Amino acid sequence: MTTEVIPTDGAVDPGPAPPPAVKGMTLRAARWRRNGTSLLMMAPFAVLFGVFVIYPLVKSLYLSFTNYRGIKPPVWIGLENYTSLFGDERFRKAMLNTFLYVAGSVTLTTIMALIVAMAFRGQSWLHRTVRVLFFLPSVTSAIALNLIWKWIFSPEDYGMANQFVGLFGVDRVEWLSTPSLAVPVLVFMGVWGGIGYGMVIFVAGLNAIPEEYYESARMDGATPWQQFTKITLPLLRPVTAYVVITGLIGAFQIFEAVFIIFFRSAGVIGGLHDSALMIVPYLYDQGFGHFYLGRASAIAWVLLVIIFVISMIHLRITRANRDLT
Amino acid sequence: MSAAAVEMPPSNGTKRGSLTRPSLGQRLATIPLYVLALSMLAPFYWMVISSFKSVPEITRSPPTWIPQDPTLNNFYDRVWNPDVQNPGHTAGLFQRFTQVSGGYWKFMFNSVLISTSITLGALLIASLAALVIAKHQLPGRRIIYLLIIGSMMLPWQVTLIPNYITVSDLGWLSTYQGYIIPALAKAFVVFFLVQYLQSLPDELFQAARVDGAGEWRIWWSVVLPLLRPALAAMAIFVVLGEWNNFLWPLIIVTGDDSMATLPVALARLNSNYPGAQNSGVIMVAALIASLPTVIFFLVFQKQFTRGITITGLKG
Repeated sequence: MTTEVIPTDGAVDPGPAPPPAVKGMTLRAARWRRNGTSLLMMAPFAVLFGVFVIYPLVKSLYLSFTNYRGIKPPVWIGLENYTSLFGDERFRKAMLNTFLYVAGSVTLTTIMALIVAMAFRGQSWLHRTVRVLFFLPSVTSAIALNLIWKWIFSPEDYGMANQFVGLFGVDRVEWLSTPSLAVPVLVFMGVWGGIGYGMVIFVAGLNAIPEEYYESARMDGATPWQQFTKITLPLLRPVTAYVVITGLIGAFQIFEAVFIIFFRSAGVIGGLHDSALMIVPYLYDQGFGHFYLGRASAIAWVLLVIIFVISMIHLRITRANRDLT
Repeated sequence: MSAAAVEMPPSNGTKRGSLTRPSLGQRLATIPLYVLALSMLAPFYWMVISSFKSVPEITRSPPTWIPQDPTLNNFYDRVWNPDVQNPGHTAGLFQRFTQVSGGYWKFMFNSVLISTSITLGALLIASLAALVIAKHQLPGRRIIYLLIIGSMMLPWQVTLIPNYITVSDLGWLSTYQGYIIPALAKAFVVFFLVQYLQSLPDELFQAARVDGAGEWRIWWSVVLPLLRPALAAMAIFVVLGEWNNFLWPLIIVTGDDSMATLPVALARLNSNYPGAQNSGVIMVAALIASLPTVIFFLVFQKQFTRGITITGLKG
C-alpha cells in the first residue's frame, strides 16, 4: 500500500523534508522510519482514547440493548430497555424536570449574562472586579456550592433564604421539600452559577464589534434601543448561539445539585415525589443505586441523542452564519 | 468570529460609544446590577461565617451576620469527646473520618496528587498527539482527529458505565491509577493544541530538522516551549476540572473512603451527618475545597478569561 501512496502523497501534500541523518537510506525507508516515530508519539493518546473513550461509547450502545446487572454476562433483549424507559413514570418525570430546568436556566442565564456583559464590559478597575465576582461560582467546586445552597435553603427560620423572604413578610418556606419549588430552586442556582461564564464570552463578543458602527448609527439618529436591536444583537448572533448551545449541553447534564441538595438516603435521590429528578441523576440511580447497567446505558444514550441533536443544530447555525458573512 | 478579534486593544473608556458613556438614567439603571454583583458574594459570605460559628450559634434564630464568638471548633474541637455527651460540641472536621489514616488531610492529599498528575500526563500525551496530527504525515491521522472532534460533541456520561466495568475488571477501583489513567485522554486539549500548532509556520520545524534534531528532540525543545501559552491555558482548565470532578470519583471510591477526593468527602459528610448541628463542619469542608480554586483563579485571572474567549469564539 505504501508504494502506491508515495508519489501522489508526496506531490499533493509535501511532507516535512527527510532528516539529513538518513541520507543513505532510500526514500521509502526514511518514510517508514518517520512514520514509526509518529506512531510512537501518537500511541499513548490513541491507546487511552481508544480504550476509555471510543470503546466505552460502542460498548454502552451494546449494553443498552441488553439486560445486564454486573454479575452474569449481558443478555440481548433488543429495544426493551428503551420501550420500558418511555413507559416508566420516573423516567418521564426526569425528562420533564430536565427540560423545564434547561429551558428556565438557559434562557435566564443567557439574558442575565448579556445584561451584565453590557453593563460591565470596560477595562476599568471597577468593571474588572465586578466581572470577577460574577465569575467566582464558575471556578468553585460544585459540591461545595451545593452544600452552601443546601444550608442557605434550610427549612428552619434561621436559614438565610428564609431570613431573606422574611424581610418581605413571607412566612418560613420549606424550600427543598416543597415539590413545586424544586425545579425553580435548581434554576435559580443554575443561573447564579452560570452568569459568569456567559458574561466572559459576551464581553469578548461585544468588544469585538467596531465602534464605528455605533458612531454612524448615532449620526443617523438611532436611539440606544435601535442600536442594540439593529447592531449589537445581529452582530452578536454567533456568540449568542455559542453561549446558548454550551449552556444547553451543560444544563442537560445537571447532576451534582440534585445529588447533594435532594439527597434522601443512600441510593435514593431526586427529592420528594421525584420533584428534582433529572436525567443524569436517574442514570446514577439506575446504574449505581440498583445496578441495572443495561437500562442505565439506555438512559445515557437518550442523553447522547439529545446532546448530539443540539450539537448538529449548532453546526448548522455556525455554517449559516459563515455563509452570511 | 476569529480569535484575533478577541485580542483587541483595551478600550479607552471615554472614546467608546453610548454603551460605555452612559447617561444619568443608564447609570441609575446599573445600580441594581451592582447590588446583584455584591449578592454574588452572599453564599460565600454565609459559608465563611458559618465555618467560624459555634454549634449553638449556628442554629440561633435570628441568625447572626457576624460570628459573635468566632471559634475554630468546626475544624478541631478540643472539648469534644466521643464518649461523653457534651451539648454544644461536635467532632470537628479533622476529628472525623477516623477510619482513614490521616483523616481529612488524606483527602486533600488525594485531590492534589490526582489533579496534578492528570494535568501533567494529559498535557504531555496531548502535545505529542497534536504534534503528529498537525505537523506529521502519519497515514490515518485525519481519521483520528475527526474521532477526537466528534467525541467532543458527546456527553461523557455515556462512557461512565463501560469505564466503571473496565476499571473494576482491572482491579483498579479505589486506586490512584483508577482515577488517573482513564482521565488522561482529553480530546479538547488535543483539539486546542492542534489549532494552535497549525497557526505556527512549518519552517520552525524544518529548521530544527535541518540542524539534525530528531522528532522527539523537536517535540521536547521546540514544540513544548512554543506551545507554552496554549499549554498554560489548558492546564488551568484541566486542573480545575479534575479538582472539582465528582461523578467519576464518586463511583470508583468503594470500601473505606480512604481514596476519596475532597468533593467525594464533602458528599460523604452530607449524607452521613444530616442535621443542622453539623452545618458548621460541612461549611469548613466546603471552604477547604473551594478556597484553593478561588485563589488559583484570582492569580491566573487573565489566562482564564483569555482561554475561555479563545476556545469559545473560535469557529
